Amino acid sequence: MRFLVPAALGLAALAGPLVVLYMLRSKRRPERVPSTMLWREIGEPVSSAVPWRPLKLTWLLILQLLILALFVLSLARPFVAEATVLGPHTVFVIDTSGSMAMAGRFEQARAAALDLAEDVSEANLASVVEAGPHPTVRVAFSADPEAVAEAIRSLRPGGGAEDLSTALRLARGLAAPDRETTVVIFSDGGPASLPEEPVVGASHMVFDDHASNLAISGFDAEPSTEGTIRVFVQVENHGADTRTIEVAIDIDGLPTGSTEMTVEGLSAAQEVVPVPAGPGSVVTARLVEANDALPLDDRADLVVGGGADRRVAVVGAGSPFLTALLESTPGVSIGDPDVADMLIVDGGPLPEIDRPTWLIRPETAPDGMDLVGLERNLAVTFSRPGDPVLDGVDLSDTVIAEAQRIETLTWLPLVSSGDTPLILLGEVNGHRVVYTTFDLTHSNLVVQVAFPILGANLLQWLGGGEAVSVSTEPAGTPIGLLTPVGHRARITLPSGDVQEVAPDAATFNATDEPGVYVIEYIDETGSVASSEVAVRRFVPSESSGPSREIAVAPAPGESADEGFLIREWSPWIVAAALALMALEWWVGHQRPGFRRREVTA
Amino acid sequence: MLLEPRLRAQLERLALGVRGRVTAQWAGRHSSTRLGESLDFADYRPYQPGDDYRRIDHNLRARLGIVMVRQFEAEQELPLDIVVDLSASMEMHGKEHSARALAAMIAYMGLASGDRVRLWAIPGDGSRTEAQGPAGRHLSAWPLLEDWLESRPTGGPGTLRSLGRRLASTGGAVVLVTDLLVEEWREVLDGLAPTAGGLVLHVLAREELYPPMAGDLDLVDSETGAKLAVSMSEDALRGYQKAVEDFALEASRRSRRAGLDYLLVEAGQGAAERTLEGLARREVVR
Repeated sequence: MRFLVPAALGLAALAGPLVVLYMLRSKRRPERVPSTMLWREIGEPVSSAVPWRPLKLTWLLILQLLILALFVLSLARPFVAEATVLGPHTVFVIDTSGSMAMAGRFEQARAAALDLAEDVSEANLASVVEAGPHPTVRVAFSADPEAVAEAIRSLRPGGGAEDLSTALRLARGLAAPDRETTVVIFSDGGPASLPEEPVVGASHMVFDDHASNLAISGFDAEPSTEGTIRVFVQVENHGADTRTIEVAIDIDGLPTGSTEMTVEGLSAAQEVVPVPAGPGSVVTARLVEANDALPLDDRADLVVGGGADRRVAVVGAGSPFLTALLESTPGVSIGDPDVADMLIVDGGPLPEIDRPTWLIRPETAPDGMDLVGLERNLAVTFSRPGDPVLDGVDLSDTVIAEAQRIETLTWLPLVSSGDTPLILLGEVNGHRVVYTTFDLTHSNLVVQVAFPILGANLLQWLGGGEAVSVSTEPAGTPIGLLTPVGHRARITLPSGDVQEVAPDAATFNATDEPGVYVIEYIDETGSVASSEVAVRRFVPSESSGPSREIAVAPAPGESADEGFLIREWSPWIVAAALALMALEWWVGHQRPGFRRREVTA
Repeated sequence: MLLEPRLRAQLERLALGVRGRVTAQWAGRHSSTRLGESLDFADYRPYQPGDDYRRIDHNLRARLGIVMVRQFEAEQELPLDIVVDLSASMEMHGKEHSARALAAMIAYMGLASGDRVRLWAIPGDGSRTEAQGPAGRHLSAWPLLEDWLESRPTGGPGTLRSLGRRLASTGGAVVLVTDLLVEEWREVLDGLAPTAGGLVLHVLAREELYPPMAGDLDLVDSETGAKLAVSMSEDALRGYQKAVEDFALEASRRSRRAGLDYLLVEAGQGAAERTLEGLARREVVR
């Protein structure tokens, strides 16, 4: 047996004063009795000149010494150490990514975590970190097993990818200097190795499973030449066997057709299906009777966007390439500069920016940008990764004869050649502006496949994102809110639940669930002033594969199996002390050894 | 009023049982140590001149040829001396009130039975250790006796030695109503030899039987003022109770040896009724 507060054992010295109290004679008080005759006969040594008397062991003294010993023992907090994963402070990092919904992994992880949470106590604190797309601390330094269990029970796997690295950093941030902190990771390992592997001072719950899975890994809409909408469906087979699967297409929840796809093992198959959907329609693709390990990725949604054409006017020199671009871009028409929604300024003087504008090598630079010279014979060396404007755009073969040398701190370089930006994004007078530092005709860009895609993307960005389908983001990506003054936002989740958002909230973050989110802005009278939709898709990387073991290592100076659970005895000792106190009271007041016998003659 | 009317009505139907013969002055209904004029045959004796001819047993003279005279039992009143202890030790815990009621109960029963009741009390007045109260032979004397019992003061040191000697060989019965908490209690009981027996009503309070005391005390004797230091330990209390038991047992044994019935009475409410019930159960009263 060991003690958490061994210094408290020093209180055992209180036994000395207690014994002395029994040896001291109290001051006698006079008590009038009918006669002292019978008292004289009891033979008790009753009088003494000294203030103390020999110690006589009585049941009361023995009980009181026992009670004192038990209280001192409880203050010293004796404990036994039992082998366990829990340490003085344990952080549960629980993966809630989409892949955890596969083959009951999350249920296993939750059951294991709840099992451990039962041992949480003052000596074994616990924290819970949710390792989802946006890792958060659910409970910190809790000694309450029920609070920890409740936090664990509240977790649900979503459709996003876990950010294990951030989650582990959060867990490390919870380390307290006075308590050794261990991390228990409940995760299937994520798609890639962690940068800090092996994770020091951690243990990892490994899932030994392997299950085949079919997933809708791509789903998008595009206009057809006939003016209708076609949806692009990609189904990926993560199993080894070839599967034939029926993909059903629903529009606004009503079945409109289906297509059968055959997907070979460990490969993907694509299909384009025309659908009678108009702007605002919700199109859903479903795998029918997939019978796979992960149901979350058997469904995908998109919302058809679009609307009125945007009028674009070309000012300046212009070129047949620009004209061809505008004619081939859906949702765009060539209009008069006075009434156009967007301008393309091809060379010449810089006009006043009063609408979204694409500036192509103007003579002077707009605000926030300094024109410092010219550069010649440039090749594209940098494309901003992940930017939606560059989706599907390959500029690796693009070369430019001459470009302006620009210095700027406020514009975002999208494409550069060394230090020379080639395409920049910015804002002037509150309007979006694309700045191209080179004449399009002085490069081979206009004859490349990338040009119409890049042009369409730039026009789409200038126009505020309107496209054939409402842009979809991975699950977990926050939804930006543009709540007008005096309004509040109400969001209907894919599950059908409705959540109210604070009026000053800029984003809605609970988007782990894949599907369609309907955002409604409610005015003061309670009616819906405007609404919009956002789609969050299941992250394709979460659909794949077996779980991966995270490399862990014990903390420095600690063996791998050193974890132990501190089981304190204090509550039992205090209970025993209280029981003895009751017994002591009974002995003191009822005198069990002095039973009343009726005096009879 | 020492006795409730209901109790008095009950007492009028009862009488104190007498074990031996009485020696008294007046005729009564108790067998006497002397021979007399009752209908109960006692013995024969030879005829002597002057004897009443009517007592000669002629059958005997015809059968044996000797002249014998029949003798008969005498019946006399029962002299009943009732001693009530009103010393300072009885003053505590309501014992004196119970003692007065018990003495009144015996006295009323005696008067109702035609006994010659005489009251005594300790301590006495002035230099005397005992006080003699009024006497009576009939219920007409009850108000006088009751008044004396009620008005008799309490307190002071009491001793039974003198009164014990005085009543040692009375020709009647003696009733002691006392806590016997006097040093000479053994001597008094041993010295009593009433011809008609009697009764010791040993009155002790519950606080004396089971003292509710704790801690270190200086016990002060209510009569002598003497102090005794006592630590009220468990052992001390156990020893005290043993002493009380021995005290009662010894008092009972010595009382019976003197021809007296003994009853330990716990003072308090209803002591008289409880005592009467105990006496009836032991057939001390009939």
